[in-house]
Amino acid sequence: MTELLLQTIVNATYAASYLALVAVGLVLIFGVMGIINFAHGEFYMLGAYCVVALYADLELPFLLSVAAGLVFVGLVGIATERTLFRPMRDNPLGGLVVSIGLLLILQSLATLGFGVRMEHIPPPSQAVLTLREGVGIPVQRLNVIFAAVLLLGALWLFLHRTRWGFALRASAQDPEAAALQGISMGQASRIAVGIGAALAGVAGALTAPLVRTFPYMGHSVIIAAFIVIIVGGVGSLEGAVLAAVVYAFVHTFVTTFVDGVIADIVGLLLMLAVLIVRPTGLFGSRDRG
Amino acid sequence: MLLEVRAASVSYKMVRALHRITMEVPAGGIVTIIGANGAGKTTALRAISGLVPLAEGEIVFEGERISGLAPERIAALGIGHVPEGRRVFPDLTVEENLSTGAFLRRDASAVRSDFEAVYSRFPRLAERRRQYARTLSGGEQQMLAIGRALMLRPRMLLLDEPSMGLAPVIVEEIARIIRDISGTGVPVLLVEQNAEMALELADYAYVLETGSVALSGVADELHGDDHVRRAYLGA
Ligand SMILES: Nc1ncnc2c1ncn2[C@@H]1O[C@H](COP(=O)(O)OP(=O)(O)O)[C@@H](O)[C@H]1O
Ligand SMILES: [Mg+2]
Repeated sequence: MTELLLQTIVNATYAASYLALVAVGLVLIFGVMGIINFAHGEFYMLGAYCVVALYADLELPFLLSVAAGLVFVGLVGIATERTLFRPMRDNPLGGLVVSIGLLLILQSLATLGFGVRMEHIPPPSQAVLTLREGVGIPVQRLNVIFAAVLLLGALWLFLHRTRWGFALRASAQDPEAAALQGISMGQASRIAVGIGAALAGVAGALTAPLVRTFPYMGHSVIIAAFIVIIVGGVGSLEGAVLAAVVYAFVHTFVTTFVDGVIADIVGLLLMLAVLIVRPTGLFGSRDRG
Repeated sequence: MLLEVRAASVSYKMVRALHRITMEVPAGGIVTIIGANGAGKTTALRAISGLVPLAEGEIVFEGERISGLAPERIAALGIGHVPEGRRVFPDLTVEENLSTGAFLRRDASAVRSDFEAVYSRFPRLAERRRQYARTLSGGEQQMLAIGRALMLRPRMLLLDEPSMGLAPVIVEEIARIIRDISGTGVPVLLVEQNAEMALELADYAYVLETGSVALSGVADELHGDDHVRRAYLGA
């Protein structure tokens, strides 16, 4: 029993890691642009397909393929900001329409390029780190946890220690006042969407060998990520990370000890409970803080 | 003239907020715009900073046309704007708010000395460097908003109702600060509903009434003007 408990904690930590990477990007984009990116799950999917193309098909090194996923999806984000999101800034309905359009386009492109079947990706590492008798963590999953901690730490440092980090936070809190300080909204948006997309892409790339990789894989991730940002408070990056941990633990535990469908329902109930008790989320202060 | 507003009009959808106003701010001293609530004072400053487009006319700063430029470009030319309602960044610390004011500056050592200058001008901000701006009192937030604009090393400062909602002692302190800033050679364009304070501080004044310049002149003379006394000074 203790083994199962510990094993479930390990699994939940892994799930929290990639979920946090996806959710934080959503929060960043919403904060600076006022747009909810419904195509964020497809950024995640694109990252996974970078690994399919470069690692599984072309047999390039796994890490190189993950790095390529980060850069490529980041660039897709930058292009998306310039062409689709910028004209829709602070226009929630317009943002909804263009991001759902983008979602469909990216899914179709993936289907055209790779087909709808699930991809087989040979695991880059079969090693399992044994924590104690009966409790192990595949090195592949451990890498996801390390990468998430590293990247989220880097993001925190960027936002709290650099000139553009301050600018992004200021733009999210009061875009007009930020403009009066000489901060270009266009530039701030480009950086926010670029980083947000890159984080989703790297999450998809890292988990590609561990999950079912197919063109519609973004669905389950985006639903979990929406629950996470609502629980955490829509404007709060720290809240998103914490809520990702809470959600992943609840979901993984219920899946392990009850079953997967019940776990999805419990996840939604968790969101409802937070909405009723604390509509701004656990960490949210104002709508776009 | 440092700044010239030439026959500028601004409309918000249905409402014409400014109608062909013309104003000038010289390279030194304090110019004020007074007027009742809704007269268009805030709109005038927002137009100068590029936050609202002109429907007609133009705005010229240091001989260059700035109307039509994006707000961040206008800030880069050295126009510091302390907006109505202070608009400090609530979830940034005092220090981080001041840093955003220095966003465009590349002279790191001068920025450091400007931090110290702002902190010595506003000791209360120095005590609260690491506090979030939302935890400050109204007067402290006003000081932070002014400090943030000074971090730009502005060639001109726009102040929108710095006395709004503040206790009389704090208003006096803000008035002293404005005089100080002007004394260091930064020209000030001050918007106020508090006409008494504004006319006392300013060298020259414009009176806005429903979007038009109704009257303008040397501040001391306007202070004695019958219409101004009746309409704005409660005499
Ligand atoms: N964003 C806006 N949309 C529509 N009308 C506005 C807006 N801002 C101001 N107005 C209108 O423009 C006029 C001038 O407003 P404003 O410049 O704020 O005046 P003041 O600063 O002198 O109180 C008012 O009639 C006001 O209702
Ligand atoms: Mg006003």
